Amino acid sequence: MRYMLMPDRREAPGDPMPKSPSPSEEGGGPRRPDTGSPDKDNLLKRMRKVDPKQAERYRQRTGE
Amino acid sequence: MHLFGIETEYGITREDLDAVDPVEESMELVRAHLSENFERRWDYRGEDPHEDARGFRVSGLQQDKEEDDFAKLDAHRPYSFHDMKSDLVLPNGARFYNDHTHPEYSTPECRTLKDLLAHDRAGERIVQRAADRRNQQLGGAHVQLYKNNTDFHGHSYGCHDNYLVSRSLPFPRLVSGLLPFLVSRQLLAGAGKVGMEAQESGHVPGAFQLSQRADFMEAELGVDTMHNRPILNTRDEPHADRTKYRRLHLILGDANMCEYATALKVGTTRLVLDLLQCGAAPTVELEQPVVAIKQLSRDPELKTTMRLKDGRAWSGLAIQEEYWNAASRVCGGSDPDADWVLREWQETLRLLKEDRAQLVGKLDWVTKQWLLETFMREERLTWEDPWLASLDLEYHNVNSERGLYLGLEAEGKTWRMTTERDIAEALAAGPADTRGGLRGLCVRRFSAEISGMQWERVQFSGGLRSRTLEMGDLFEPDAVRACAVLLESASSPADALAAWTKRKES
Repeated sequence: MRYMLMPDRREAPGDPMPKSPSPSEEGGGPRRPDTGSPDKDNLLKRMRKVDPKQAERYRQRTGE
Repeated sequence: MHLFGIETEYGITREDLDAVDPVEESMELVRAHLSENFERRWDYRGEDPHEDARGFRVSGLQQDKEEDDFAKLDAHRPYSFHDMKSDLVLPNGARFYNDHTHPEYSTPECRTLKDLLAHDRAGERIVQRAADRRNQQLGGAHVQLYKNNTDFHGHSYGCHDNYLVSRSLPFPRLVSGLLPFLVSRQLLAGAGKVGMEAQESGHVPGAFQLSQRADFMEAELGVDTMHNRPILNTRDEPHADRTKYRRLHLILGDANMCEYATALKVGTTRLVLDLLQCGAAPTVELEQPVVAIKQLSRDPELKTTMRLKDGRAWSGLAIQEEYWNAASRVCGGSDPDADWVLREWQETLRLLKEDRAQLVGKLDWVTKQWLLETFMREERLTWEDPWLASLDLEYHNVNSERGLYLGLEAEGKTWRMTTERDIAEALAAGPADTRGGLRGLCVRRFSAEISGMQWERVQFSGGLRSRTLEMGDLFEPDAVRACAVLLESASSPADALAAWTKRKES
């Protein structure tokens, strides 16, 4: 794989985005989420509180 | 030169009313942000959406019959155009206003993905803060805001990503190089949607699809944004020196909750623009892009293939991989953002094929699908159940007490790429290396002296001499920082402008 610099780049490099996270990474930057079942937390409770007819009532005007 | 920004139109509702007036509610929401009276400052002379990049001018923009009827009613409202728009320029250089009956937050111009993410998140906080104030006035949590793109009745509203592009890049090359990439970009940046819909024909409950906006794409190219929407918008409104620059105004994207998806959406598009600028884009031509974008959206298994003009049939993943291959040859090592995007873009394409669960909390459509399927199993629901569209909507609620995505985030199940400190800084000031930062600085230092603002200039009142900070070609970071130093240290706008003119002439 050959890398070359873009000819029109003049800006100094800024702070890099966080690197791809590892499970052990702590502190700032992204962390690997626990993608187990939301059963274990409050999320299902939050979902059950949503009114099943909410989308039916929700009306907007066309935007851009 | 890299510069980008995101405009987000939020959905707004009042849960204590049977019939909501979105014009009133959007106006009141924006004004709830203010601690003082509204002052007319936005200068609309800089806006002209009728110029088409294909080299002609249209006499008017299309809207559907329903909007025609609404527009007639709006004309009789007891407000001026300025009052109805309620345009605000914030101390961080962002614009917050009522656009087509939706509260819209436009980030200041950013040069890095890190800044863009912080400002996009700052926008969520600002609109929700305005909703909290409005709800205090109303005496209950009645106003709710949604960072999404549909009302599940055939009405869509946008999240537009914008890029500064050199005018030396011929527009036909921009079109041919971008279309296949944009059609397949939803694999990375689709926000996910329950069911199908189309403008004026309502919602059909049912299977999950990748994108909120794909159903509303009806043309390959076009200057319209509210009707007959194009995959590639041809509006030629650069908000910059038009002899040197274009603004690529993309209207096909979904509003993302996942920071990672926002970073990939804008980061990959930026790399493809770099490819086009140096003539290194892949030669892929879709036979029917408008059909393809819907076909791809409606296949979460990612098995569907789309016909190319040369007779081959490619999947969305294959198209994205072709663009990644080209970008990795040309853009690697050019700057930290480019390297981050190349690495994560490749990894995301691999995970979409091999282990999609690893993308929960990173890509919105994957996250939403996982969330809804978990709920369906628990409650023994099918995709046709109307509860699922309601949950889809609530995924995008920016109220942290209610929003499903924000609930996931609070439990550490999403990939945060900003810190609370990043967001706090983005609430206070614009990027230090863009004109967005200068705009915000003008608001913070000389608010009382500003008579008009638009994207490319700030007009100050008083005196016979010109009192305008021109920013139509103010993009070099060193020049921006030098201008900021003068604005910070001057005792008046006139002094700052005089010093800035002297510096430019020296």
